[in-house]
Amino acid sequence: MSEKGGKGFKSSLKSSYGPGKDDNATKSKKTRKVQFDPQGGKGSKARKSTLSKESQPLELKTDKGLVHSATLSTKAPFALHVNICVMVFAELPENAKCLMDCEAFEILQGIKEQMAVLSEDPSLKLPVSFDRGLEYVKYGRCYMNPQSVRQILEPLKKHGVSESEMCVIANVCPESIDEVFAFVPSMKGRKDKISEPLEEALMKLSKLKRSA
Amino acid sequence: MFIKVKLPWNVMIPAEAMDPNGLMIQRAVLIRLLDAFASKKATKDLGYFIALKNLEEIGEGRIRETTGEIVFPVVFSGITFKMFKGEIVHGVVRQVHKSGVFLRCGPCENVYLSQYKMPDYDYVVQGNPLFMNQNMSRIQIGSTVRFIVLDIQWKEAEKEFIALASLEGNNLGPF
Repeated sequence: MSEKGGKGFKSSLKSSYGPGKDDNATKSKKTRKVQFDPQGGKGSKARKSTLSKESQPLELKTDKGLVHSATLSTKAPFALHVNICVMVFAELPENAKCLMDCEAFEILQGIKEQMAVLSEDPSLKLPVSFDRGLEYVKYGRCYMNPQSVRQILEPLKKHGVSESEMCVIANVCPESIDEVFAFVPSMKGRKDKISEPLEEALMKLSKLKRSA
Repeated sequence: MFIKVKLPWNVMIPAEAMDPNGLMIQRAVLIRLLDAFASKKATKDLGYFIALKNLEEIGEGRIRETTGEIVFPVVFSGITFKMFKGEIVHGVVRQVHKSGVFLRCGPCENVYLSQYKMPDYDYVVQGNPLFMNQNMSRIQIGSTVRFIVLDIQWKEAEKEFIALASLEGNNLGPF
């Protein structure tokens, strides 16, 4: 089902983590594995898909053979989550830029207001998904002012944070840097460099949060 | 995640729709483009088509000799919505079954959250069927749930996506 040629609609979750395994030891030519180098040097290369071509549901492979899934789930509950998450940014099409939910809301709300004026003309149509899309961001966005959010997150780019990662941070509305690294594991490799500026950004973002 | 994408399309204006003075070309192109955009529900690469944002450029029109239509190459920016594997999103529960729940996430109506991916939640029937955990947190029709996308599949015939969700991880669940 996946673009990688997986069979059927199964959750094919891959992980290179087993108990006590060194990340660097689990590289394989067939499976591109997530690696988190403590120095952060190789971590930036790890933003790749981790699906092996021979994917089976919940099968864990290391260089030393199969690891039982039960072991993984008790010892590293985020391991499965980590591998899926890294795939997000690899799939953005060309000429495409991701938007924060608050930015999308501003654009869609503006279009809706214009359509209210133009709706007398029956030849002007909105796509069927428009209302659902607007509803999603109306209730799900964390911040009211996308320009301020962007101003706060933009300086993180100098520390290697990508546009997509910035959008994910703005969308998940994290309260601590642990949450950021949990939801955006591609940033874990740069933890040392980025913790301080991220902490600062989160503090500023918390003041912008939309009240419930 | 919402995506802003720049796309080149060809817009065809039939000869009878052209203004005799040739003054309303831009309007005709825009209306046709809006119509084409609205009727294109979704694509595998870009996701669900949500809105047309800007018409950036209208190229030189070419007449189709066989039909008399004029083809204008245009470039526009649009907003689409696509879920990605590993993305943290939220959805609203629309059906509850013993084996799991179906959620709606934005324009995607078919997100399935299996009971096996709802750690510590049990199926309970209290008037209405729902899933509940020890902290009395409920997943029922109308609940908004934050989840991680395990996988997505494109259905070419229906022009829609189906997705698998999971609550395994911190800060996931109903809110």
